[in-house]
Amino acid sequence: MNEVIHTLMPWLVLAAGILLTLLVSVIRVESKRPAQISALLTLVVTGVLSLQAISLPGEAIFAGSIEVSSLTRILLALFSLIGILFVLGGDRYLGKERIHLSDYYHLLLILILGAGIMVAAKDLVVLFIALEVMSLPAYTLAGFRRNDSRSNEAAIKYFVLGGAVGAVFLLGSAFIFGATGSTLFPSIHEWSRQSTTGGNPLFAAGHFLVMVAFLFKVAAAPFHFWKPDVYEGAPTPVTGIMSTLIAVASFVTLVRLVHLPALDASGWETYATAVKVTIRSLAVISLLVGSLVIITQKNLKRLFAYSSISQTGYLMLGLLASLHPGQGISPVLIYLFGYVFAAVGIFVLMTQSEPRGDTGVELVDLTGLVKRSPFRTALWSILLFSMAGMPFTVGFFTKYLVFLSSVGTGETPLVVLAALCAVVSAYAYLRPIGLMVMRDADPGAAQWGGGFWSQFVVVVSVIAVVFLGLMPNAMIHYLKGIPLIH
Amino acid sequence: METSSSLSFLLTVPLLALLISWVIPKALQRLYAIFGSAMILALTVYETSGIIFSVSTEAAKAFFVDQRLEWVPELGLSAGFRLDGYSAWFLVLSALTTLVAFCVRGVWYRKQPRLFVSMGFFLLFALNSAFLATDLITFYLSYEAVFIPMIFMVGIWGENQKASSVFRFFLMSFAGSILMLVSMFWLMSLHHGATGQWSSHLSDILGSVSSAQAGDLVWPCAGFFLAFALKVPLVPFHGWLKDVYVNAPMPGTIWMSAILSKLGVAGIIRFVIPLFPAVLREYQGILLALSALSVVYAALLAVRSDQGKTLLAYSSISHLGFVMLGLFSLSQEGVNAAMLLSVGHAVTSGLLFFLLHQVEERTGDTSLNESKGLASSFPVLFTGIFLAVLASVSLPGTLNFGGEFLVLLNAYRASALCTILAGAGVVLGAVYMLRFFQRLGLGSPGSAGPVEAALKKDLSMTDILMVALLVGIVIYGGINPGIFMKG
Repeated sequence: MNEVIHTLMPWLVLAAGILLTLLVSVIRVESKRPAQISALLTLVVTGVLSLQAISLPGEAIFAGSIEVSSLTRILLALFSLIGILFVLGGDRYLGKERIHLSDYYHLLLILILGAGIMVAAKDLVVLFIALEVMSLPAYTLAGFRRNDSRSNEAAIKYFVLGGAVGAVFLLGSAFIFGATGSTLFPSIHEWSRQSTTGGNPLFAAGHFLVMVAFLFKVAAAPFHFWKPDVYEGAPTPVTGIMSTLIAVASFVTLVRLVHLPALDASGWETYATAVKVTIRSLAVISLLVGSLVIITQKNLKRLFAYSSISQTGYLMLGLLASLHPGQGISPVLIYLFGYVFAAVGIFVLMTQSEPRGDTGVELVDLTGLVKRSPFRTALWSILLFSMAGMPFTVGFFTKYLVFLSSVGTGETPLVVLAALCAVVSAYAYLRPIGLMVMRDADPGAAQWGGGFWSQFVVVVSVIAVVFLGLMPNAMIHYLKGIPLIH
Repeated sequence: METSSSLSFLLTVPLLALLISWVIPKALQRLYAIFGSAMILALTVYETSGIIFSVSTEAAKAFFVDQRLEWVPELGLSAGFRLDGYSAWFLVLSALTTLVAFCVRGVWYRKQPRLFVSMGFFLLFALNSAFLATDLITFYLSYEAVFIPMIFMVGIWGENQKASSVFRFFLMSFAGSILMLVSMFWLMSLHHGATGQWSSHLSDILGSVSSAQAGDLVWPCAGFFLAFALKVPLVPFHGWLKDVYVNAPMPGTIWMSAILSKLGVAGIIRFVIPLFPAVLREYQGILLALSALSVVYAALLAVRSDQGKTLLAYSSISHLGFVMLGLFSLSQEGVNAAMLLSVGHAVTSGLLFFLLHQVEERTGDTSLNESKGLASSFPVLFTGIFLAVLASVSLPGTLNFGGEFLVLLNAYRASALCTILAGAGVVLGAVYMLRFFQRLGLGSPGSAGPVEAALKKDLSMTDILMVALLVGIVIYGGINPGIFMKG
């Protein structure tokens, strides 16, 4: 038992922190600071503990239904970091929107705990519970601007979709259990190795259903329609968390679920082809939808919703490459990390514009920013360059790796399409820079102003983006060594 | 001088100049930019003098430098640079062009001059790095880095429809170069498949490419070719050029026409010809035909132009068509001739755009619809234009004459038909350049007359020195063309 507690320490600290945060928010109702500080402390301790244990060997606990490994530890550390950055960076925004409540913080911690368990889950039932633990606070947080109809719309859409995802996932799990007699990932994998028939229709249906559930979560087109509305309506820091933390957790889980059966086992060739064709088509659709629709967007939150849809497309390229023998999942992981570093900065920057009613930041707010605030313009430009995959930012290397691994597995036509999509969407990322630098301020443009911490978070994110763009060695070297699945 | 420190030196000096520009007062920026770029030009000539002044290619080879630094070994990324007979001249040209561009007076020295000067030095750094690169990814990165200052220049100091020009320019460049990047990935995977090692260095890739089937190499070759054909540009890929040249501020136009177009030439010399010889030979007919078409079609467009800037833009495409004709003759002599003509084009087009700006400052526009009669009011400027036009129409004794003559000679061995077609371009060149000369220089000033705020004085001393330097190179090169051919 002692062993288990030791292994799970970061998760337990996080759970205790939730209770502590809830407690202090009840004790001092009128002030938000105690809850905020308690949340920050919890996240710092969680992050440090998981980083400290990072090189320890992987360990399966609770009868194999949870596996704590280097990957889960580094992801929990990443989630804590994202949490810290958004707690610091979102502070002023919440005040401006008059939604600075203590509940925000413990809901955020519950969300992070759910995500942290989800990436460690090795069992369909545990995975489902973790998914719900992560999603329920997310629905609430999306509707946090409760006097605003768009925020309510976002919460309802997100909730209804989440309910459907849960139902689809459970149905799929039931089918898989019916076909294999187990919900444990290793047992299902073992079953697939022994079944020479290449699976049966029941398993295939179950596997596709659980994959579809997470394709909704990562918003691969055509399962993406909820995303722009939810992104637009939710409070900006919450949108940022969805776009980074929830996206990473969901995509890692999707990769696990795709690799659930041993697709390289004999007799599974037809089935493996079907999975590959599905992923390839979804990658194509996501890339096209993401990078074509993004150029028509005028609202920045919607713009980044479509951006994340096209990012999903690039990630699907990496996922597809990982299905080839001998290819690791490291391009996907590195892509996710690189994306997170830039996205945190972008969403915190977005909170810095003065609120203009219900719609958030519009492109027009950026006009002439270079005259009003040159430093902020530089920060925006670097982050947008990274999103566009320009050299000397981390965004270049992440795309580089994904493209390289895909070309190596013979997916060159797909890479050509993805590269052209990158050009098209680069227009959408560079147009804001054009508005900031080359246009005079529009009379309707919002004022910009962020507090110290908000600016601090953006600067941290920009430093990470530039540093990893110049010296990606450490990150690539480390993440390359991590085995993901079995 | 033959140590590898000269390479790092050539790369870091522009960056140093960039940093210094941030502490120079705004009023002194032009002086600093001219002085700084002249110093860099002198240093570049000094550092490469072993190559450019050597008597023969054999003697120059002793001064070639290869340098390779590891960057991300996991991905086979290194920073590879090579100073050889081609890159030495391209470095000199980029420093020279920067000097000419900085010399041009205009709104960029009044509105955010510091940004302008630092962008110029950054451009010089990126150009040097691209010309020296022998590592595929190093080349790609430098090639992309060149666009950034160019985009700012058009966007901030450009004219009229600058926003649409910027994006046209950007999308054109990015679309071309990203397909080149995919081709690079393909080659790197080929190398990885053959050796199990990741590398993007040209010397490693060359080893694996030689064993590949020519049929497989067609698409990667097309990726590289498209990027460079857009950059130079060759005729069916030239749609972006007119708008961008016309709307860019004059220094930007000088950089683009004199040296950015040479990025495509340098890329073909360094990468396409060594990597894909069999593919090029198979499609040589098409490539030569495109080059000859460029020469003639762009010359016809130039004949029809009624703006000086447009005319020079099209004339630039036409001359670059000759360069491409030389390259695609696929012989060492042809490539050397193309190199000679590249130098000639860089110098003359820099000179012409520089003088055209002087005309614009004095008469308010560059319209060719009516005579401007510069001969009577600005005799020095008139003389400059006269010399530049003579250089541009390849008068024997100028640099361009030797280049065009040798290009046609070598191309004739490959395809007589294309050469004859391109020869017609020489005649058309004389037609439009003489009209250019006649409308600007001769006759009496038109009814519109000089505009109010226009300059009344003739060329200043710095301008005269600049013209003299460029004309000097044109004539020296015409007499002694051998120094440009060290490939």
